[in-house]
Amino acid sequence: MKEYISEADARLALRSIDDQRQQVIAEIDLPRWYWLGLAGGWVLLGIASDSGNPWLTSGATLLFGAVHAAAAQHVFSGRHKSGKLSVHAGIVGRRLPRVLFAWLIGLTLVTIGIAFAVNADGAEHASTIAAVFAATVILCGGPTLMANFRNRIARDAA
Amino acid sequence: MTVEARFDELIHPSTRLSIVALLASADWIDFAFVRDRLGLSDSALSKQFATLEEAGYVSIERPLADRRRRVRARLTPTGKKAFDGHVAALQAVLGTATAPS
Repeated sequence: MKEYISEADARLALRSIDDQRQQVIAEIDLPRWYWLGLAGGWVLLGIASDSGNPWLTSGATLLFGAVHAAAAQHVFSGRHKSGKLSVHAGIVGRRLPRVLFAWLIGLTLVTIGIAFAVNADGAEHASTIAAVFAATVILCGGPTLMANFRNRIARDAA
Repeated sequence: MTVEARFDELIHPSTRLSIVALLASADWIDFAFVRDRLGLSDSALSKQFATLEEAGYVSIERPLADRRRRVRARLTPTGKKAFDGHVAALQAVLGTATAPS
């Protein structure tokens, strides 16, 4: 093999291969519409909860859960940020859906906790206030969570 | 899995190596993505794809999506094997024992 290529060329070629892999890793993400939809749905759920109508609250919760489950099936792999490429499953690994579900469960508990706290403080529309807080966390924290995930994959791949 | 180190002269030129390396990390990639990432013209990239397709390393698909004709490329099993072998050969030159991913 050494008659074909020098060590310097081999090193350059391997670096180029790694650069291209990093380009693909940079595409691991969830589509922007997912974060916007999740944040919007969370706020609507808070408003429905504040309406005091149990049918509306239950219906909204079921609808939110169903729509989210359908969307999550398509996007939680993190491999289809856009229609430009599908990242190889071996690059992303299997951890991302678990990480996202855990994050959402944590956020749900925090939202409930804030709603109780705001309600205990005597404020009106406690659920809406808590949901707006959660929506802000989703819009800011979701992309940050994914960036951290990408960085970890990039480090592992290097 | 052990990969047989095999230097591949078809893959090794820098542009084709970059194309194959991109494709090796994805199930498929849109033509425009590869073109933009590598800064190639449509004709230059088409020529490289044609060479790789002729060797059986890449398959080109034209799904009809969003009412637009798009072109997707994916690495074939033959192409993946050749790429893994090439990476192993490059690593062998450097004396590193890391298996290609």
